[in-house]
Amino acid sequence: MANSKIMIVDDDPDLRQALRLRLRANNYDTVNAVDGYSAIALAYKEHPDMIILDLGLPAGDGFVVLDRLQKDDKLSTIPVIVLTARDPQSSERRALQAGAAAFFQKPADNAELLEVIRATLPKAATETVLPS
Amino acid sequence: MSDQATRVLLIEDNPGDADLVRLRLVEGKSPVDVNCVNRLSDGLESLKESSPSVILLDLNLPDSQGAETFRKVLQKAPNVPVVILSGQDDEALAIKALHQGVQDYLVKGAFSSSSLDRAMRYAVERQALLRSLEMSRKQQLEFKNQFLSHVSHELRTPLTCIHQFVSILYDGLAGEVSPEQRDHLKTILKSVNQLGAMVRDLLEASRAESGKIRIEPRCLAISDLVRQAVAMMQPAAREKEVGLEVGVDTRIPLVHGDPGRILEVLINLIENGIKFTPSGGAVTVQASLVPTDPDFVYISVTDTGCGITPEARALVFERLYQDPNAIDNNRKGLGLGLFIAKELVTLHGGRMWVASELGNGSNFSFTLPLYSLAKLLFPVITSQSRLRDDIVLVKVGLSPLSKSARAGWKDTCQRCLEVLQRCVYLDKDLVLPAMTTGGAEETFLVVASTDLKRANIMMTRIREQLGKVSDLGDTGTLEVTALVVPLPDRAADLSLDQQVQEVAGAVTNMVRSVLGEKQGFTEQN
Repeated sequence: MANSKIMIVDDDPDLRQALRLRLRANNYDTVNAVDGYSAIALAYKEHPDMIILDLGLPAGDGFVVLDRLQKDDKLSTIPVIVLTARDPQSSERRALQAGAAAFFQKPADNAELLEVIRATLPKAATETVLPS
Repeated sequence: MSDQATRVLLIEDNPGDADLVRLRLVEGKSPVDVNCVNRLSDGLESLKESSPSVILLDLNLPDSQGAETFRKVLQKAPNVPVVILSGQDDEALAIKALHQGVQDYLVKGAFSSSSLDRAMRYAVERQALLRSLEMSRKQQLEFKNQFLSHVSHELRTPLTCIHQFVSILYDGLAGEVSPEQRDHLKTILKSVNQLGAMVRDLLEASRAESGKIRIEPRCLAISDLVRQAVAMMQPAAREKEVGLEVGVDTRIPLVHGDPGRILEVLINLIENGIKFTPSGGAVTVQASLVPTDPDFVYISVTDTGCGITPEARALVFERLYQDPNAIDNNRKGLGLGLFIAKELVTLHGGRMWVASELGNGSNFSFTLPLYSLAKLLFPVITSQSRLRDDIVLVKVGLSPLSKSARAGWKDTCQRCLEVLQRCVYLDKDLVLPAMTTGGAEETFLVVASTDLKRANIMMTRIREQLGKVSDLGDTGTLEVTALVVPLPDRAADLSLDQQVQEVAGAVTNMVRSVLGEKQGFTEQN
């Protein structure tokens, strides 16, 4: 079974690395984007199964990215989990309304995050069989 | 007219007095532009159009007398300085006027041109000073909120980084760790989590202070929340060897509140209880009804800990209060937890208090309003002091397509509820609050005062409007049905209250059977 591919969008290199280590330990492949602009470009190129998105980003913040993803036929089906230091009272509803599948405030509980990733990943991706 | 002229609005009904004031004003040093009206209503009307530099106000006018006169003017023009020109030398009234924001109180006939001129100019200056003080106070409060919001946001990034890498080490993702190292890493993780909670409390407290905390009340079973909170705190209690017990009367009716916020309050109180109770002690959470206060549920968290002195009891809910005599050598928090908890309960319309004796444990209690169907139904099912002719219960069921609903499903349901609110008549129909259900299915219920035929029109409208909710079509299915609510026998000699009670009872039974025996949905009389 092929691993699901998750795109991490965060401008903080240490947080990207930590999340990458955590996801790889749980058998996910990862790709990284450091800003809003490259997130969209990389989503086109890599076709990730899921995007974990920070909100405070250079070159187009998380809401801009969410909006671009939603409006793009090729990308709108990719589930997005928002993982941000921002406050839920001001951002959670807005993020969910903009199309995010879930919202986590940093630091997120790892077990909970992994559980939601599992539940949110499209079925097709987890059941893809390796080409022989 | 020159730009520097002081624009005076003179509200005075006596023509002789008005002329005298005009004369004094003209004699004064600075140029004035006087607009004189003789009724309060005319004065208030003119304030709508333009704002004068100063208002000279007689108190006894044809359409308003005494204190009422300046109250109305201050309300209409809070930023314009008001000088009262009164026929009465009434010191008590003058002081009262100044306390409410009037700038000066002059007695007619007792002032000269120059003193009137001076009183007016000083009134203008004082008013400007007050305004700038008030504005800078507001700016400072806003700055403090922004500062705290910024700080707590910026602290989160390094905090997250520490949390993530320590947990990577702890979980052995970066190689094996010895039991001793694991112990140390666990201590670090615990401290990081404490730090995270403090950062959150900082922001919450500043919000509570400026009234910016939002609550989203719905209909919920308090027993579920108590059990959830206890389950979450059980590991901490076990670790300290403190018993954690629950005593909840399961017959308690549904409560009207924000589940996330109430859980926060419960966790805060239980956490405190565990913190101040020595090993071998116990913390008990209870929920019960009090016959003398039938509209509320009483929830209490009792511990067998060190207790609180009478002096400290008065202070525990204050911001930044920390118990100086805490026996526990646990680290102190910021001292914001109880302050926030009490604010949250107050926002729900409840109260919070503490009973304690030094050395004999503490009992923190709070109340939450019960959800009363009869109270909510009364205006809907009655009209002109009698029961309406037809009442129908419309059920709107939403179920997700896949069993493991996407996290966005909850939000889709929330949007559906908002659309549903707009499909009904505010005065004739009642959308019941959403019921907290464990499953992904959501059922909304509308009590409508209409017959079955017109209910069909309403159902078509609901189907049309909810069909437009984006996401719903892709992620779930919609089912709309209607049931006729049986009305009490008209021949029976029942008062309107009794009839409403009977209908509320019938609706409750129908709701219960529709929802499939939701726990706790019982209606009190």
